[in-house]
Amino acid sequence: MAYQHRVAGFVYAMTNRSDYVEDLSQQIFIKMVRAVDRLQAPAQFESWLFRLARNTCIDQLRRQKLRRIFLPFGEEHENIPEPAGAVDTEELDALRHALAQLRPQDRALLALVQEGRSHAEIAETLDTTVAAVKARLHRAREHLREHYQPDHEN
Amino acid sequence: MKTEDQAWRDLQAHAAAQLRAGFADRALRVARGPQDATWRQLNAHAARQLRPGFADRVLRAARAVAEVPSLSSQFALSAATAVFCLAAVIFLQDRSAQLADERNLADWERIVLSARDAQDAPDNDSI
Repeated sequence: MAYQHRVAGFVYAMTNRSDYVEDLSQQIFIKMVRAVDRLQAPAQFESWLFRLARNTCIDQLRRQKLRRIFLPFGEEHENIPEPAGAVDTEELDALRHALAQLRPQDRALLALVQEGRSHAEIAETLDTTVAAVKARLHRAREHLREHYQPDHEN
Repeated sequence: MKTEDQAWRDLQAHAAAQLRAGFADRALRVARGPQDATWRQLNAHAARQLRPGFADRVLRAARAVAEVPSLSSQFALSAATAVFCLAAVIFLQDRSAQLADERNLADWERIVLSARDAQDAPDNDSI
């Protein structure tokens, strides 16, 4: 369970929701425990784990989107983003705000880079090519920088 | 009367007064984008959301999930039950049809025997 903090950070960067972190991390590790014996190459464990984490988060975000369509009023509280100031610093609030403006795929990409994954590993995790990773990463960083405003009023 | 230069300087001073303290620092931070330290804060915040005993809870939940039959095994059990029921129905249907045939044949034999008896009876009378 040495990975729990890293997976928690990844989940938070992907979903932008503190209340999802524990549940989704738990789901990810349960899937890991159940499927780890089917892992072909133990050296690729980290890539595999973060692919599992990414897919779990994207499934959750899809479910959340569907719930919003079918229960527009019933689960209204789910649409309310985490208030600014609920976390530690102005920079962190700004980063959360900027991440919230990006697509989940781009958030995953940036979170994987912050995890220290190489472009090749990210390409493997996301089932794409290194060139595509580089291009998407460049765009994602641009978008993040556009929305990153540490002194924004809200 | 103010010179044009003086007017420009006043305008610049007025504009500069609108900038809040720490403007240069903020501009630099925006230009550089989020730093590694900010990402680390994000990870630390996320890590704090995990309640103590997280690993134990995961292992307990994983064991509980492992004890629940998998979807494929449930499907296999359902399929086996369906096949067994179908075989039982076919067997019973076949058996009941066979019994009905035997009963019908016995009835026919009885009818044939009765008919023969009836046919033989007038001959005896005529003799």
